[in-house]
Amino acid sequence: MTELRRILQLARNDFSYFFRTKWLMAILLSLHLSDMLVVALVYNKLMTINYFNFFVPGVVVMGLFAAALDTGRRIWLAIREGVIQYYLSLPISIHGIVIAYLLAGGLAAVVYSTSLLLIALIVLPAQAIWSTFILLPFLFVLAMGLAGISATLAALASTHGEYFFAYQQVVQVLLVTFSTVFYPIDFARSYLPAFLTNVVSANPLSLAAEAMRQYTFAGNPVQPLFLLSILFTSIPFTIIGAASYLTALRAIQVKGKL
Amino acid sequence: MRNVIRLVWFDLKPEIKPPVWILLEWFTFTMQLFVYGAIISQLVKAQAISNYQQFYAVGFIVMMTFEIGSHAGRSFVEHAHEGRLPYLLSLPISRSKLFLAITLQGGAELAIMLTVPLTITLILLGNLTVFSVTAAIASLFCLGFGVAGLMLGLSFIAFKSSDMYSAIVTGLSAVIIRFSTVLYPLMFLPQGYASVATLSPLTYGADLVRFLLGFDPGILLNPVYAAAVLAALAVSTLGLGAFLLQRLVEGVKSG
Repeated sequence: MTELRRILQLARNDFSYFFRTKWLMAILLSLHLSDMLVVALVYNKLMTINYFNFFVPGVVVMGLFAAALDTGRRIWLAIREGVIQYYLSLPISIHGIVIAYLLAGGLAAVVYSTSLLLIALIVLPAQAIWSTFILLPFLFVLAMGLAGISATLAALASTHGEYFFAYQQVVQVLLVTFSTVFYPIDFARSYLPAFLTNVVSANPLSLAAEAMRQYTFAGNPVQPLFLLSILFTSIPFTIIGAASYLTALRAIQVKGKL
Repeated sequence: MRNVIRLVWFDLKPEIKPPVWILLEWFTFTMQLFVYGAIISQLVKAQAISNYQQFYAVGFIVMMTFEIGSHAGRSFVEHAHEGRLPYLLSLPISRSKLFLAITLQGGAELAIMLTVPLTITLILLGNLTVFSVTAAIASLFCLGFGVAGLMLGLSFIAFKSSDMYSAIVTGLSAVIIRFSTVLYPLMFLPQGYASVATLSPLTYGADLVRFLLGFDPGILLNPVYAAAVLAALAVSTLGLGAFLLQRLVEGVKSG
């Protein structure tokens, strides 16, 4: 019980740090709000499809992704600046530290993307707002998975200084470009080879964006199997991320550095 | 001049050895053009844009120019706060030479970063003349210097808080890009947005470069007007930079 309380305390600390980082909030909000209220609106005039309806849910998922990825930056910063040494001196297990970071990363991403969703609901009428409440736990697991990817990058980059941001950008570009956040799968299929189209379809960002479009905004009945597919594609990332961060923490605990 | 070159190399070396950030920019451009740009191009129906992938390629180059110029301006301010600039100021070199070194370093960085993306874009567009390519490159440099100077001009905020400066400048960057003609022609912007877009330097940069590279002038701003705005921006902000270096920077305090 005490361990659980400490995990929650640590998670709360990291969660609040995310929202207190002014420059980050400025970047994320200006980026996502301008994507939603400018890019989606103007592209709508240029496109063959109703792009505004298509892209706005995608922006919410991009917000979730960007906020979850910031977990890695916070882990990397903690390793670089020695805050991690302080955490290791606390009466909390290293498993507890890993869980706290992933919980905080997942929660921060869900809270941030929910704020975007609220704005999206003002500009784009939703047919089934209640479906969003069913989606939220799945989005939380997805965010933990994305935080896991980011944690892996932070653990990998810890010995290579600022390369973390390079790794992060490569992953970000690949995951977002090979998803249906920006374009429907049919258009991707007509251009990309078959194996890449499969990657696009199985990408957890595509699944989340599609779920939001279909269930929250279009009002179609929620398909449990589809939601399970979000879990199946996200959980492996969470496990890999937790294992990588755990290994990094063990190395720091034994050698004092990575 | 040897001192100037030595200073340019001093700042440029970390970017080149190893060239991680340069390769990253090239990778991002390639992915954006050949995956995102190509697929989005299929969705675009507007008759005014015959090939959106080409339109986007030029837009992305302008975006890169903006990011690099903006990065150069912000680094200058960060260096002031981290104590590196006072060190440079203490060197036995005149302020004008120091300013020349900083400008050349920014220009060299821009040239290196844009080499591959610009080459790919020019190949994609085809049918160009030496004059049009040279003029387009000159416009990009004008824009790069103008943006770097603009970021430097905003540095007065950093006197109070460098954190606030980063928040304002980085937040502003995303808005400046979206409220411009980098991603779409001005004629497709709603009236309210179009008025804001005419205040963005990227609108003039993007439209001028597109005009020089042979895009339909009907969807672009008047090139004479765009060239005048870009030249004025570059000259005024470079002048401001030189002025700040002469008078203000020595007094920068940590936020």
